[in-house]
Amino acid sequence: MPATDNSAGKMGAATEGTRASERLALLTADNASVPLPASVQAITAILLAALLIALPWLGLGYRFLSIAITTIYTAIGLYGLALQFGQAGIMSVGHAALMGIGAYTSAILSVQLGWGFWTTLPFAMAMSAIVGGVIGLPTLRVGGQHYIIITFCFCALFVIVLTNGGTFTGSATGLDVGSVTPLPGINFDKLSNNYYLVLAALFLALAATYLIGISRYGRTLRAIRENEQLARSVGINVDLHKLGVLMVSGLFAGLAGVLQLYYLRHISPTLFGAFPSLYLALMVMLGGARYLYGPLIGAIIVNFLPEVLNLDPVDSRIAYGVCLLLVILLLPGGVSAGIKNIYCAIAGGSEGQGGGSNGRA
Amino acid sequence: MDILLQQLVNSLSVASVTILIGIGITLIFGLAGIVNFAHGEFLMVGGMATWFMVGAGMNFFLALVFAGLLVGALGFAAERCLFRFTLNRPMNGFIMSIGLSVILQHAVIRVFNEFQKSIADPVGQVWTIGGVDIIAMRAIVVAITAVIVAITYFGISRSRYGMALRASVSDRDTAELMGIPVRRYVTGVFIYGSLLAGIGGALMISLFPITPFTGSVIIIRGFAVSLIGGLGNVGGAVVGGLVLGLVDGLSAGYGYPEWTDAYSLVVMILILVLRPQGLLGGTLGPKAS
Repeated sequence: MPATDNSAGKMGAATEGTRASERLALLTADNASVPLPASVQAITAILLAALLIALPWLGLGYRFLSIAITTIYTAIGLYGLALQFGQAGIMSVGHAALMGIGAYTSAILSVQLGWGFWTTLPFAMAMSAIVGGVIGLPTLRVGGQHYIIITFCFCALFVIVLTNGGTFTGSATGLDVGSVTPLPGINFDKLSNNYYLVLAALFLALAATYLIGISRYGRTLRAIRENEQLARSVGINVDLHKLGVLMVSGLFAGLAGVLQLYYLRHISPTLFGAFPSLYLALMVMLGGARYLYGPLIGAIIVNFLPEVLNLDPVDSRIAYGVCLLLVILLLPGGVSAGIKNIYCAIAGGSEGQGGGSNGRA
Repeated sequence: MDILLQQLVNSLSVASVTILIGIGITLIFGLAGIVNFAHGEFLMVGGMATWFMVGAGMNFFLALVFAGLLVGALGFAAERCLFRFTLNRPMNGFIMSIGLSVILQHAVIRVFNEFQKSIADPVGQVWTIGGVDIIAMRAIVVAITAVIVAITYFGISRSRYGMALRASVSDRDTAELMGIPVRRYVTGVFIYGSLLAGIGGALMISLFPITPFTGSVIIIRGFAVSLIGGLGNVGGAVVGGLVLGLVDGLSAGYGYPEWTDAYSLVVMILILVLRPQGLLGGTLGPKAS
């Protein structure tokens, strides 16, 4: 990964009007750690929030809104994955299983004890966080690639346990739940209200990701990502931070899982198996794990691509694969990196010394 | 006792396929430094190619060679067009290989369909040895695997090419200075591993029916075998394959069959956590990470 100073230097060079090859290098540079000016950040956030809030009124239809809900709860799970991979550098290909832990905890509490959405939510999130931490224990001992295989094994194991769990987990057919317990005056059976519920959770996830990113905690995580031994030698408790970020990631996954459960009203083991997990990893890389809006962009691309291109499932999977290859080869930082670089190139070109180079906080 | 022997022979033939994919992964991961998640799909493509050629009237053993060469060519294309650009970023290569596996899987569904395919037993004989019935094809699968393991083992540990390869893994720069074309070796290892996957696929379809999704099931076993044995360690992959094959075969015969897959997953996780360097020790993966 290019260091901060390196990419800032490239940006400065581009403002003086440079050759095409350097412009290409500019577009493919990974400059996640160079913040944009505060005004640009604020405007993006407000525009995005306004667009998302206005979405149900744009008259795009029932199907569009359903896909939007799917996209958003997926994105919430992705923010957890982006936190552990983008900030702390711990990749997992078993993340759907963590969402499944949350969803199944909530469903089992609801089936066995008759609890509603709001009561089960904290338990489900806590359960996902605890399991996330426990699966994370091997990261203290083994390297990244071993951990990836371990998470994949865990995911496969989870599906087997659910399938063999008898009536407690509903076996292969899964479990059903009722609708979200209505708040005074708000009935979540209405699709647009369900959308706002999921959207509120997304805003929470975004806010948490942003705050962690600018906090001392986030900086510590990035230090561990870049050089674990150096971080350890300056007195950072690496083990505690690694487990901590995996547990926070588990919280996001639990929230996403419960939202998924109450949107679908029915869950089965295959929703949380190896394929959904791989797709989560794919989405987070596609969008860009180190960018605030990266996971959301990744989820939007993967969920809406088949709709936009009007493809059948087989072709759309092939299209995902091709997109992924192109993104990794041309934009190793994800689509968000490309968008940010294009913005920097335009802003830098028109204002002389504007753009990303002066906004370093 | 007879049942135990029969289970052992059956497990051994199943373990053979696992060993072939495990050797391919252990070489590509441990020596070329590429994490190829599409390796299972390479095996599946090999199986599908065999199915197609046998269906078109070709002899099984010719189809096996064809599948090996086809998948070897596929590996060459993948290495040249994709993985050589991510050699110093293994994580990106890994993600790209997930994309490749999705593409291959669905391309096979697009060309054929998603249903399972099988071929008739190419030999169709049963040998009775010491009161145990052994399906001849299973014994042939074990024999072919044994030959390939021997060639690979001696190729890596004894030949000058194997020595050059190991030199490039332990110190790439020095190896290049000594005149070893490291890049070409990486390509070569990738092609060889892919070829083994193609042969593994052909052998697999002679034992069981396969579907376009077989690859994603077997890949995790392949990674487990290579990590259990120690990356880059051919003997280790054989031991790992035998351990998993035996756990599978015996648990299918004696334990609770619905938990068969779970046993091997648990064994895998335990070995990965307790002995990350593998049972026999290996290269601990690419240095670049």
